[in-house]
Amino acid sequence: RVPSQQFSALTEVLFRFLTEPKEVERFLTQLSDFATMNKISLGPLKNIVKSVLLVPNGALKRNLSSEQVRADFIALGLSEEKASYFAEQWKVNSPTLTRLAVGQTLMINQLIDMEWKFGVTAGSSELEKVGSIFLQLKLVIKKGSQLENVYVELTLPQFYSFLHEMERVKTSLESFS
Amino acid sequence: MAALREAEFAALQSLLKVSGVRAGGNGAPGPRLSALRFALRQAPSRDAVRQLCQECFSSPPAALGPLAQRACPGLAAGPVEAEQLVSALHNLTRHVVYRGLTRAEDILSLFPENFHQNLKNLLTKIILENISAWRNEAQASQISLPRLVDMDWRVDIKTSSDSIIRMAVPTCLLQLKIQEDAALCGNNPVVSALTVELSKETLDTMLEGLGRIRDQLSAVANK
Repeated sequence: RVPSQQFSALTEVLFRFLTEPKEVERFLTQLSDFATMNKISLGPLKNIVKSVLLVPNGALKRNLSSEQVRADFIALGLSEEKASYFAEQWKVNSPTLTRLAVGQTLMINQLIDMEWKFGVTAGSSELEKVGSIFLQLKLVIKKGSQLENVYVELTLPQFYSFLHEMERVKTSLESFS
Repeated sequence: MAALREAEFAALQSLLKVSGVRAGGNGAPGPRLSALRFALRQAPSRDAVRQLCQECFSSPPAALGPLAQRACPGLAAGPVEAEQLVSALHNLTRHVVYRGLTRAEDILSLFPENFHQNLKNLLTKIILENISAWRNEAQASQISLPRLVDMDWRVDIKTSSDSIIRMAVPTCLLQLKIQEDAALCGNNPVVSALTVELSKETLDTMLEGLGRIRDQLSAVANK
């Protein structure tokens, strides 16, 4: 049983971790600080935290409202006061948490970056004077966990056509947002 | 730089056998020509010369040997003579395209003084007919990075995943068909299809970049 003040401090630590899941080191440090300050042993605290973390994760998956989160916590044995406090925190943080979850969703060959250059072909081994414009794109693609570079050359008409198509895609995506 | 060496122009004159162009131009015909005059009784054909010019231009240097062998019977020439002729035609046509010569006078001036007049006119005429097609061919087969051949897209709405059960996130799938460098693949260009997924944010960033390219292109065009 944790007193209310410390409970809110703990909740803060938990949500900070949830919204920045990469900061594992920081989370663990804060947890052990909390344990020392409140004279709780770290082992049992970690177990409690583990089960507590399950609730927001499950809530996220199932798009639970804060009411439902509160009810879940009460069912777990938390006091009404603490459950309400947690549910409030949940409501405040859920947009960020949702965004993170969506960001984790599977993407196939995700386009990470695009670099470009264009120039003029002055001459070649077959033609002394050329004077045509070329456009080169380098697409950085995430394949699984690796990054792959793809190089493509476009003629000018192809570029304009590509730009036109991408603008159509944007219109389409916007109409669905 | 001279278009062709003297020996190559000499080799070209063996076309007289095929072209039906009557011998008897300016200057005293060399021993080669007089020997050739007898061969004029062969089937004359300006079209055969035309065809040969086209094949010689399009053929890469490595394939000239086999081309010469195939041309032997039509030319009524021995293998060595055919090879010299084919090589000379290849060099001449490629030189004209390289320099971007478009006027008859420029092409005529490439030939030496004592070159057979009518044959010279015939070759110039054939070259002029083909010059722009040949130029396009040269540009199309130029070395380059892999080229974009086709592009398709579709917009999907993601409704659910293992990390979140209900959502409505639009996403774009873009398929690019990319052809490897033509020079490397010869007659069998390898076309690969690459499917890429873009989120709305990525698309917006990409469009920003493409817009910048367009602005720069119009700045260059207006100079």
